[in-house]
Amino acid sequence: MADLQFAATVNGRKVSRAAKPHQRLLDFIRDDLNLTGNKEGCGAGECGTCSVFVDGVLMKSCLMPVAKAQGASIETVEALAKTGELSVLQKAFHKAGASQCGYCIPGMVMAATAAIRINPFAGREEIKERLGGNICRCTGYQKIFDAVEMARDVLNGRLPATALAEVDAEAGDYIGKNVRRIDAPSKVSGALKYAGDMTMPGMLHVQVLRSPHPHARIVSIDVSEAEAMPGVEAIITSADVPGEDGFGVYVNDQPVMARGKVRYVGEAVAAVAAEDPLTAKRALEKIKVVYEPLPAVFDPDEAMRSGAPVLHDYAPDNITKHIPIRVGDLAKGFAESDLVIEENYSTQPIEHAYLEPEAGLAYLDHDGVVTILAPDQNVTHHRHMLARILARPISKIRLIMSPVGGGFGGKEDMIYQGMLALLAMKTRRPVRLVFTREESIVASAKRHPSRTTLRMGFARDGRIRAYEMTMICDGGAYGLSTEGVVRKAAILAAGPYVVPNLKIDTYGIYTNNTPSGAFRSFGALQSEFATESHLDIAAERLGLDPFEIRRINAMRDGAISHTKQKLGSVSLLRTLDALEEASGWEKGAPVSRGGGRSDLGRDDIRPSCALGARFAAAEKQEAAE
Amino acid sequence: MLTCEEYITPGSLNEAFAAMARHSGRYRIVAGATDTLPWARDGRAGDVNVPILIDISKIPELRALSVDDKRARIGAATPIQHFLDDPSLARALPCMPRCAVWFADDQIRAQATIGGNIVNASPAADATPCLLAHEATVELASARGQRILPLRDFVTGPNKTALAGDELLTGFECDALHGYGGSFEKVGHRRSLVISLVCLAVLVKLDAAGRRFEDVRLSIAGIGPLPLRLAEVEKSLRGGPLSAERLEQAADMPVALVASRTRQDYRRDVVRGFMLRGLINAARRAGADPDALAPELEAAYG
Repeated sequence: MADLQFAATVNGRKVSRAAKPHQRLLDFIRDDLNLTGNKEGCGAGECGTCSVFVDGVLMKSCLMPVAKAQGASIETVEALAKTGELSVLQKAFHKAGASQCGYCIPGMVMAATAAIRINPFAGREEIKERLGGNICRCTGYQKIFDAVEMARDVLNGRLPATALAEVDAEAGDYIGKNVRRIDAPSKVSGALKYAGDMTMPGMLHVQVLRSPHPHARIVSIDVSEAEAMPGVEAIITSADVPGEDGFGVYVNDQPVMARGKVRYVGEAVAAVAAEDPLTAKRALEKIKVVYEPLPAVFDPDEAMRSGAPVLHDYAPDNITKHIPIRVGDLAKGFAESDLVIEENYSTQPIEHAYLEPEAGLAYLDHDGVVTILAPDQNVTHHRHMLARILARPISKIRLIMSPVGGGFGGKEDMIYQGMLALLAMKTRRPVRLVFTREESIVASAKRHPSRTTLRMGFARDGRIRAYEMTMICDGGAYGLSTEGVVRKAAILAAGPYVVPNLKIDTYGIYTNNTPSGAFRSFGALQSEFATESHLDIAAERLGLDPFEIRRINAMRDGAISHTKQKLGSVSLLRTLDALEEASGWEKGAPVSRGGGRSDLGRDDIRPSCALGARFAAAEKQEAAE
Repeated sequence: MLTCEEYITPGSLNEAFAAMARHSGRYRIVAGATDTLPWARDGRAGDVNVPILIDISKIPELRALSVDDKRARIGAATPIQHFLDDPSLARALPCMPRCAVWFADDQIRAQATIGGNIVNASPAADATPCLLAHEATVELASARGQRILPLRDFVTGPNKTALAGDELLTGFECDALHGYGGSFEKVGHRRSLVISLVCLAVLVKLDAAGRRFEDVRLSIAGIGPLPLRLAEVEKSLRGGPLSAERLEQAADMPVALVASRTRQDYRRDVVRGFMLRGLINAARRAGADPDALAPELEAAYG
């Protein structure tokens, strides 16, 4: 492979050095120049974390072969605050509170800079359109658009520069007060280092071999040919685990790498540490794994039937957890009801899609402490588990939580930290693993898909008399957070409503699907989706306003929850009032729909998306001239 | 990931042909490369080693543009963004700016080329219906010489074209339609970076009073294996008034053409709505008399 001599101007400085012919501009900027402000969120041009200027035009550097930028002038996010002072746009992002996890922000700031350079008077719709190639998963975009509008007006003179001055932190309690966001400047400038941005001298690169089978016995793994490759430093499999192999949140059913059999497509089977990522990747191709495919089960209802393939010996019925709740006399409740509604609800698996794919860096420190830097949402628990898995005293294990580029629950599971620790111990060198977006989607946990049967009885005046729910959650191949998710789904299923007679059963089930895990709301979304939908159906059938049926059933201060917890205060009524007012809700039973409703199409309600704001702006300008 | 041994950037067509001959069977042509890099990833082609990448985007003939009263000549390596930013192109190809604004995003459009979009021959390619409506011809060149083909004969099936192994798509020639109103209607799963489920290119020329269609050109993609020109519908509208009755009749005509592999009912609904919206938008931009357009249709679809 002949290197090419690459010469360009990067952030005002001449650069001339050898580059690989297949390198992308993004690799060159991040790996060779160590300019890590711009990120790789997807590698496929979808997310915009890699947006840089090439000869003044914003481009996605993950889609650009480096050779294309030969001779060009390139500006990365580091160019914006080159003197150390944040640019107007960066200050506005800080002021507006537009950065949350921060991972999309360098690319977002670049896209905003491009938009305002092209049209210093761009309206909000045009700004949205021009930022369309950049994804943010945290903010919901509104604060980002606020920031761009603020910066635009400072730059075009409509607002004084003092508009960007930092607000003084307010004294007193934090709640309801303006608090300085101390990590925002490093996020808007791109200076903040996420795990995938960090390097150490002598660092090795890790790649993971993953299972192509949903359920198969591992007959043999032969790493000899891969291990013999130049540049390959170490290969690990489950045989390298010195201690008690198994992690999880409630049940330690998941080995660091597949042990004896694989249970889902994408499960880690072996990991390679090599001098560069490409060598590690090529080594994966040389690992010979012989699988004996086993019958697999992908439907939780089928998995519960007798004779279904069994995933884990300890759970011959494939039940990870069953949570039952019983209150009152269900039969009596239904007998007293004037209206009984039964419906089935289902929800799908959902990927967290944090902009930062999983990444971690591990090394042995001078005292032999295994140190792991990772965007890990549960470092203390993982440290305890690793002590057992690695058979080391806990004082010899250290986890450092690197900035989390979005988590939403998806980074609570220890799906790669064990491999990093083992490779650092085996090679005695720093090792780094950075997931691709595809790997993140294949290997990380999803929101539990669910199937719910819900039957509710109501009195004519709207009061709930009886509530019966069965929910089956597909937990996938390993337990992870499933027990907690189905417990919370059960506890919160009937919502903040007074229910005298109630029967709830939630189940987490093993299948050969991708494991399900923690995700914002942790099970409550699935069960409350069913309950709240049911209340809307009941409101329509009983001729009640949907807010009213909720007020009629609302728990009040001092209520006892369905699981016998005394609630000192219940804010539901205040929440409903605020929601009703803010939404401009058209009162009455929810029987009118579509364009006839008075609460749709208002100025403060977001319209459906359209394109062409820049044409409208141009036409307006032409008309004015 | 995509790996290669050599990345060649020829400065002329002859250099490109020489490189193709030298590395016969071992190369892949890239222009913008915005389709090639995502293609070589897990879930699609996976890790791909292409020994030689030949990047034709810097060849001057492929970047040349010229427009006169009748025809436009567009180099194949013209970035899609040019159709938005170059006023002379926008006037000559009035539906292309609307097509371009829906195409990927501002950043990818600066790199992705018109030739790449056409030569990949996706059944949902956005630029193909626009160029079909402009009666485009393609220029194919090789060391053996040049040939010209109508675009409708060039795209032969999903991801299939009439391009020979040693040929390059170097450019297009098409009608310059000054004075026409253009529209491009597209729907996908989101606004940016999305492949069309259906897209429709509309070009309309009206009489001096802005009340009758002098010319109508319609082309649709995403509803079957190939983009289609809707000649029958065009004929039914040409010379007629902008009446609600005419528009609604025309809108019903292509509904039966939906032959996609999935979501046919949805696409039928979309086709009808797009026909009305596209014709109304294009007519308005062609200077339609505001009184000539049926107000109820304009309110619903405009």
